[in-house]
Amino acid sequence: MADVAAPPPLPQPDLLAAIPRLRRYARVLTGDTNRADDLVQDTLARAWEKRRLWAAGSDLRAWLFTIMHNVFVNQRALARREKLHVSLDDGGEGHEAWQIPVRATQYARVELTELMEHVGRLPVDQREVLLLAAVEELRYEEIAVVLAIPVGTVMSRLSRARAKLRNAFADAPAGAGGLKVVK
Amino acid sequence: MNPLPVTDADLDAYVDGQLLPSRVAAVEDALVRDPALAASVADARRRNADLRDALDPWLAEPIPDRLLAAASGPTTGPSARSPETMRRWLVPLTAVVATLMVGLGAGWFARDMQLERAGTPTTFTRQAALTHALYAADANRPVEVWAPEEKRLVAWLSKRLGFPVSAPDLNSTGFALVGGRLVAGHQNPTALFMYENADKQRLSLQVRKQPVDGGEVAFRYALENGVGVFYWIEDNCSYALSGNVDRAQLLAVGRVVYGQLAALEASVAK
Repeated sequence: MADVAAPPPLPQPDLLAAIPRLRRYARVLTGDTNRADDLVQDTLARAWEKRRLWAAGSDLRAWLFTIMHNVFVNQRALARREKLHVSLDDGGEGHEAWQIPVRATQYARVELTELMEHVGRLPVDQREVLLLAAVEELRYEEIAVVLAIPVGTVMSRLSRARAKLRNAFADAPAGAGGLKVVK
Repeated sequence: MNPLPVTDADLDAYVDGQLLPSRVAAVEDALVRDPALAASVADARRRNADLRDALDPWLAEPIPDRLLAAASGPTTGPSARSPETMRRWLVPLTAVVATLMVGLGAGWFARDMQLERAGTPTTFTRQAALTHALYAADANRPVEVWAPEEKRLVAWLSKRLGFPVSAPDLNSTGFALVGGRLVAGHQNPTALFMYENADKQRLSLQVRKQPVDGGEVAFRYALENGVGVFYWIEDNCSYALSGNVDRAQLLAVGRVVYGQLAALEASVAK
C-alpha cells in the first residue's frame, strides 16, 4: 500500500463523472454497446497506468478522450492485421458497422431515429469529430490534440460529416422525413 | 474594406459557436444576403441540437460495475469483459489470461479477501467512497426516493436489506436528508442516505449487513481518493459516512449518527 514511487491517483470524482461521456464516445467509435464498454474499461486501465502523464488541473475528460482514441486506433490496427491471417470472424466487415440498436433508445421524435441512422453510416473519423465538436463541444484545437491531427483536418472532416448528413436528409423520401421541411 | 470571403470552415465554426469574433460580422453579413446559406446554417444548428437530444440520454444510463472498478485504481489482474468479447478473445488469450490469473490477479483478489476476512473492511470504505462520489456529483438525481417520502424509503430499504434501517436526523449539524437509494454491495445490498447542507455539500451514510461477524469496530477514518469516510461496525452492520468535508466535520456528524442509532437501539431493546 505504501508504494512511495507510485504517482498520485487520478481525481476520483472527475474520473467517475467522465465515465458516461467516455461510454458515449466509445459507442460512437465502435458502434456497439458491449465493445464500447470494453473500450472504456481498457481506457481507464491505461489512464491509471499513464497517470504520471496527466497534468493535474488540466481537463481530465479531454485527456481521457485522447487515450480512448489511441486505444481504439491501436486495437483496430491489431484486429485488421489479425484478419489477414484469420478469416473466421463472425462480423465480416462489421468492425465499424453501427450496431447500436436504435430501439434501445426510444426517441420521441422520428427525426432523431433517422439522424442516428445517418450518423451510423458516416466513416468513423467523421463520426468522432462530429461528436466531439457538436455534442461534447470541445474547441477545434482541443479536438486536434485528442485526435493528433491538424486543426485543418478537424475542420474538413467536420465539414464533410455535415455535408453528408445534409444530403442524407435531402435524399430521404418525402414520406419519411418530409414533414420537417414544413415550417 | 473587403473582408475575406466566407468559407465552409467559417460556417462550421459559426454553427459551433467557435468563430473568431473578428469574423462574425462577415459571416452574419453573408447570411443576410444569402437566404440559402442562412437556411443551411440554421439546419446545421438544429442538427447539433438534435444530436445532443439523441445522445444525451446515454449519459444517464447506470454505469456497469466493471467500469466503476476500472475507475477506482490501477488493475493488476484480468478484469471482467462483456460476454461477447470474452467469446471473441477467449481462444487466443487463454494462455495469457491463465498466467495473469495465477501470477497477478490472484494476489490482488486474495489481498482484498484476506483483509475482508480479517475484519478490515477496506473494500467497504473504497466502495463507499466511490458510491458517494458517483451519486453526490449527480445534481438532478442523487437519490432514488426523495426525503418527502422518507417513510416509504425506509420501509423499502428495510425490506431489501432484511433488517430495519432508519435515516438519522442530522438537522442539528446543518445537513438535511435529501433521500436515499439502494446500491449494490460487496455481498449484501447497501442502503444509502444522502444529506445536504446550505453550502450544497453532500454527505452519504451507507449501511449494510456484515457478511461475516466482524465484531465491533470503533470509528475509523479513511481518505479514499479525496473522499473522507468514517466507518464503524456495530451489531453486525457496517456503517460508512462519506463526504468531501474535512475530517473534524465528518467526525462530528458521525458522532450524531452513532448517537442516534444507539438511542434507537436502546428504545427497541426496552
